[in-house]
Amino acid sequence: MIVIEFLVILFFSSIFAGVFGSIVGLGGGVVIVPVLTLLLGVDIHFAIGASIVAIIGTSSGAASTYVKDKLTNLRVGMFLELATTSGAIAGAAIAAYVNSGALALVFGIILLIALAPTAMKLGEDIPKSPELKGLSKRLNLKGSYTEPDGRHIEYNATRPGAGLFGMVVAGMLSGLLGIGSGAFKVLSMDYAMKLPMKVSTTTSNFMIGVTAAASAGIYYARGDVNPLIVAPVAVGILIGAAIGARLLVKARNPTIRKIFAIVLALAAIEMILTSLGVAA
Amino acid sequence: MNLRDPDSMNTVIGNVLRFGVVISAAVVVLGLARLASLSGSADTTSFLYYSASSVPHGNFPISLTALISGLRSFNPFSLIELGVIILIATPVTRVAISVFLFAAEKDDLYVLVTAIVLALLLFSMLVTPFIPIFHA
Repeated sequence: MIVIEFLVILFFSSIFAGVFGSIVGLGGGVVIVPVLTLLLGVDIHFAIGASIVAIIGTSSGAASTYVKDKLTNLRVGMFLELATTSGAIAGAAIAAYVNSGALALVFGIILLIALAPTAMKLGEDIPKSPELKGLSKRLNLKGSYTEPDGRHIEYNATRPGAGLFGMVVAGMLSGLLGIGSGAFKVLSMDYAMKLPMKVSTTTSNFMIGVTAAASAGIYYARGDVNPLIVAPVAVGILIGAAIGARLLVKARNPTIRKIFAIVLALAAIEMILTSLGVAA
Repeated sequence: MNLRDPDSMNTVIGNVLRFGVVISAAVVVLGLARLASLSGSADTTSFLYYSASSVPHGNFPISLTALISGLRSFNPFSLIELGVIILIATPVTRVAISVFLFAAEKDDLYVLVTAIVLALLLFSMLVTPFIPIFHA
């Protein structure tokens, strides 16, 4: 029976998506959408509906571990969610007036350009922590966590305004393109706010569930969340996220950055191909 | 548990998220098991195909009344949808509970930040699907 094979392929792809999505903070949509459209021939509407479910699953599934281990910075996450949720609403409102193909192309190229600074920082373990001052101090944007080798890391966030701006852009892209835009979230926290890599990816992972939930209502009402498709995705992604979260806690920052760079390159290429009409 | 202890927030939020995903996965698996027990009599292949001409698309319930009547008859798709709704509700619950956790820590600034996020999130999830401009 065709449906059984379909469900099994989708289930195992979702485990894979959950493992990588939870480590790099992107949420697994990068894997789920091409598997559904290219490999299984499912319509892009159903693929995006499944991607929303995958993002929420990766986020909540892995965040339970990251939050308890204090890797996720709750205050940084909640503060930046102000920008991602308002950006998502604004993006959804103007979606009708925007050429989404052209936007995906621009976004894909921006991600490719972002590879250069990522590659330059490839070996970085813990960034030199800036002084806590100004808005960061008022918002209490600092934190600490313990590395697997026992080092206790204390860090401060800098440039919250730049981070907030990056998150408005990330939120708008989510609303416009139906993606989690975790790549943009990680880049904003990594470059603008100078957070340690693990804190950036786990805080992005924490936030993408809220961004995806914000647009879930619209996709659900349209009937794009197909139960037969999302069932194996939801179960597989939760298993994958549980595995990925355990791996990240033990991993070193440079390793996570290398995996992030690879996934970033794939996401950029996928975005560009989709915009050119190759993938979708 | 002392909610004024800053560490308790991590424990409570972690538990809320874990509880949400475990319940959600259990309900979805129940729906899949029910589907497997029925699939001898029904061909579900057509359910995978998207048809733009029938909006909402497909053969599954999307309204609350259809969902409830489906759950009464133990419909596999209704069970899966219930699981997915629990999954979608998990981050929303996390934001809602955070408002109270920051209040317990007497952090008024973050009570305000989280309450605004919750309001934006609920507006986006529940109100925008009924505003025509959002149906591009």
